[in-house]
Amino acid sequence: MRLKHMIAIIGVCYGIMAVLPIFVGDIRFVMNIMIMCLIWAVVASCWDLMMGFAGIFSFGQVAFFVMGAYCSGILAIEHSVPPVLAILMAGLFTAVMGVLVGLPCLKLAGPYIALVTFGVHMALQPVLRGKIGIAIGSGGSVGLLTIPPVSIFGYSFSSANIVPTFYLTLLLSLSCVLVIMFTIKSYWGVAFLALKDSQDFAMSLGISAFKYKLMVFALTSFLTGIIGAYYGHFYGVLSYRMLDLDLFSILMVMMLVGGLGHFPGSVFGAFLVVAGSELMAPLGAYRAVTMGALVVILVLALPNGMMGLFIGWRKRLSAG
Amino acid sequence: MKKILRFSTIWLFMGVFLFSSTVMAADTLPVGVPIPMTGWAAGSGADYFKGIKMAIDEINESGGLLGKQLEIIRFDSKGFEPEVVMQAADYLCGQKNVASVHAGWAGWGQDVRAYGKYDAPFFADDGSQAAVDIFKEDPAKYYNIYQTTDVGVEQAKSMFRALMALPYEYPNKKVVIINTDDSWGLEVGNTLEKSFKESGWKVAKRETVPYGINEWGVILSQIRRIKPALIHVEIPSGQENITFIQQFLKKPSNAIISLGWGITPREVVDALGNSADGIVGEMPSGLPGPKAPNAKAQAWVDKFVGLYEHQVPAGAWIAYTAVKAWAHAVAQVGDAYDFKAVNAYIKEHGYEGELGLIKWDQNNVLRAQSGAPVVHYQVQGGELQPIFTDPPLTPYQGSQFLTPPWIK
Amino acid sequence: MFSEDTILLFYEITDVIIAGLSTGSVYALMAVGMTLVYGVTKAFNFAYGDFFNMGGYFAWILIVGLGLEFGGYPVVLLIVMPLLFAVGYGLEKLLVAPLRKRKDWENKVMMMTLGLALFLTSLYMVVFGVRMKSLPPILEGTWEVGQLVFSYQDIMIFVMSISGILIFAWVLNNTRIGMAVRAVAQNPVGATIVGIPKERIFATTFAISTVMVGFGGILLSQKWFINPNSGGIIMVKAWVVTALGGMGSIRGGLYAAFIIGMLEAFVGWMFGMSYGIIALFVLLLATLVLRPQGLRGKGE
Repeated sequence: MRLKHMIAIIGVCYGIMAVLPIFVGDIRFVMNIMIMCLIWAVVASCWDLMMGFAGIFSFGQVAFFVMGAYCSGILAIEHSVPPVLAILMAGLFTAVMGVLVGLPCLKLAGPYIALVTFGVHMALQPVLRGKIGIAIGSGGSVGLLTIPPVSIFGYSFSSANIVPTFYLTLLLSLSCVLVIMFTIKSYWGVAFLALKDSQDFAMSLGISAFKYKLMVFALTSFLTGIIGAYYGHFYGVLSYRMLDLDLFSILMVMMLVGGLGHFPGSVFGAFLVVAGSELMAPLGAYRAVTMGALVVILVLALPNGMMGLFIGWRKRLSAG
Repeated sequence: MKKILRFSTIWLFMGVFLFSSTVMAADTLPVGVPIPMTGWAAGSGADYFKGIKMAIDEINESGGLLGKQLEIIRFDSKGFEPEVVMQAADYLCGQKNVASVHAGWAGWGQDVRAYGKYDAPFFADDGSQAAVDIFKEDPAKYYNIYQTTDVGVEQAKSMFRALMALPYEYPNKKVVIINTDDSWGLEVGNTLEKSFKESGWKVAKRETVPYGINEWGVILSQIRRIKPALIHVEIPSGQENITFIQQFLKKPSNAIISLGWGITPREVVDALGNSADGIVGEMPSGLPGPKAPNAKAQAWVDKFVGLYEHQVPAGAWIAYTAVKAWAHAVAQVGDAYDFKAVNAYIKEHGYEGELGLIKWDQNNVLRAQSGAPVVHYQVQGGELQPIFTDPPLTPYQGSQFLTPPWIK
Repeated sequence: MFSEDTILLFYEITDVIIAGLSTGSVYALMAVGMTLVYGVTKAFNFAYGDFFNMGGYFAWILIVGLGLEFGGYPVVLLIVMPLLFAVGYGLEKLLVAPLRKRKDWENKVMMMTLGLALFLTSLYMVVFGVRMKSLPPILEGTWEVGQLVFSYQDIMIFVMSISGILIFAWVLNNTRIGMAVRAVAQNPVGATIVGIPKERIFATTFAISTVMVGFGGILLSQKWFINPNSGGIIMVKAWVVTALGGMGSIRGGLYAAFIIGMLEAFVGWMFGMSYGIIALFVLLLATLVLRPQGLRGKGE
């Protein structure tokens, strides 16, 4: 997809989002859903960059998200670091963790990478909950309950003043997504695609698989960590329960709905899925049944997600 | 074929959206029930819901509240993830403008924050000191939050009192404590360990286990070597307790087994039947049954059993009582949406329940009291039988503690 | 000669080893179907754990739901295994086969099965309720040797899972269909050339793996009960075992199953049960760093 189209789609998505508070700014329930859309859009996009573009089948995205959230929360609570600074430090921390996790993965084949990264996810829960976690201030099994909200020049962005907070989230989310977009369209992105299509050939052209794969680990975990940290400060509470499989599956659904490897489909997918899932929350178990069935049907019927559908329509339009 | 699949997908999407945004019926009084319907907490959630449903049906059958029928608005609070709890609060209180919220177990503090933003009375069964600590941060702001059970620390102290009061001569003073690694398990485990040590017992083994352990061979072989007089297992889930008991009974040692809260999920007695005889455990804010202490309570138990065809599980009665307490306050105040007055009434007057008056303390915690006691049970004849109520720790009328059959 | 404490310690260690062996046999049964499917079709099945529960639920429907009085478990197995085979075969044909023609199909299969897992888990909740279901034990009673206690139930699980795997290995090595499966695993193109119906072999393999894991589900559900939420963790366990052994290597999977069973038992014994999962992933990571293809997997 050309840069022009990407910008257009991201522009439309975020543009609509930016206008919506005029109509629903006083309905906190809807504003919350929108903030969640913006947050998960970044995580889904990072995951898409990893899986769809770099072809690394990593399952560690939620783990990095939680690491970032906890890191920033602990810094803010235990060491009284101002939230803005704490968020940045959390991003750097998760970037380092990303590289550390990435290193052993580079030698492995698909399902093994998935397993190692998922192993990090699975092991994070007992670590946060156990003695190690309590020693670093994770609050053990209770989690963190008193994370201060982000405040800039004495103005605090919390759920009490939701509209300004929404715009701050929008700004953060948009910048993360733009970083991802420019990465995909830069020399890096081309290198990723080349590596994914034929690693041997790309390497013979002098593209270092090692360097680029590590970079993609660092970048995606940095962005995921930042948005995770922001999530922690927004909600003010964190619990290791986020590492249960539910969130993991929903994120996967977001990418699928958008179209794997069809950025900015994941942004679009996140908006649709978060909104749909929240609207279905009163349905209880039927929500999960529907979500599951939707994934199966989507993979079979819409291999490239909603984005594939758009591309198809555009082609048909230009042909006819 | 491909085209059909494609179109059906899109229609499915749109259908889901339309279906979800159903319009609410007019002239009913909405009541929010954010209870886990999926995930690991769905089992205990179902028990709370039984009590809440029973109360609301009762009110509706008797003509509603202030002439309006109550309408249950459910929300799946999954695993109490912060965003989900917040979303539930904003949906129920902000969007649906419910008159009160009845949640059962709702978390360990995240719920206080989420519902504290609103004024509708919120009843939760967290049993967690962390949740109470958040309340104490700003009692004026969180004035609408009510805890329907005492905190884990106090419940554990009650467990200890009951274990020490058993009419049974412990052969030694060694105890093994096994608890889960969540906040509930640790709160109870730590308190018990402290209490035992203070009264001269030796905590020969303290094991913190994750949920989902079903192979107890290793721990049981250690227990056989330790030969404790008492084993306390605190796992608030059915499966682990059942597998523990089954594997323990294959070669039992001479120990009293106390399952704590873990005795209350119905599947424990259902699956173990008579082989569970002798095990002790307790239920916080409970209504003693099957043989209730008075006629009013007996009528309640009979009605519950008639409706759901099993004895009362933990949480069902107190969730029922919370609904009734709120409805009573609303009837007295005369306006369900005058939250200040409704909250003030609940706080000041409490509620006259099946077992007598219940009252919340200054932290809005329903401490263990004679109107809502901790009930200590023993399994006898394959069914829970109350042996003590606490506080004050009193042997239950007509009850008798039986030495477990595996003790020689 | 020995003090009482030493003797008791000896018994305790023996108990730990027994616990490790019995968990190991269960893991072996869980993993063998997964490694087979991966070895032959290169498809990774995330809904694997839910097929485990499917076996349990089918047995529950027969025994408790319909109150099957005659024959007990042999009859149940006789009815449920063909049923599981049919489900596995049908699902492969319906859901996996269409994906195989696509680019990037391995990843697509992973995602599709992840959705299937979510669907099945929540479907079980809707249909059977959120509470666990219990099955009557296959055998009751215990066998005591001095201080050691073996329950007939555990012995039965051990014997049946090992014989299940042996029958499976025999089928793979000695029957026409088994040979065809191995041929496809070794060289799909070559197999097509000699006229082996590849598509049908893929579906059969998937069906066999469903039968294996469903068999494990029945066997374990009568000890551990059926919990609609447990599919995820069972899948992860099977996955770890499979990966450690080398995906696609059945013998490697067997070794890995017993290594992990022992590791869990001994770590649980020495450090506490909550360290089991951490030890598991440390072992896995170390193995994969040293041998990226797993214990017995084929190299690049």
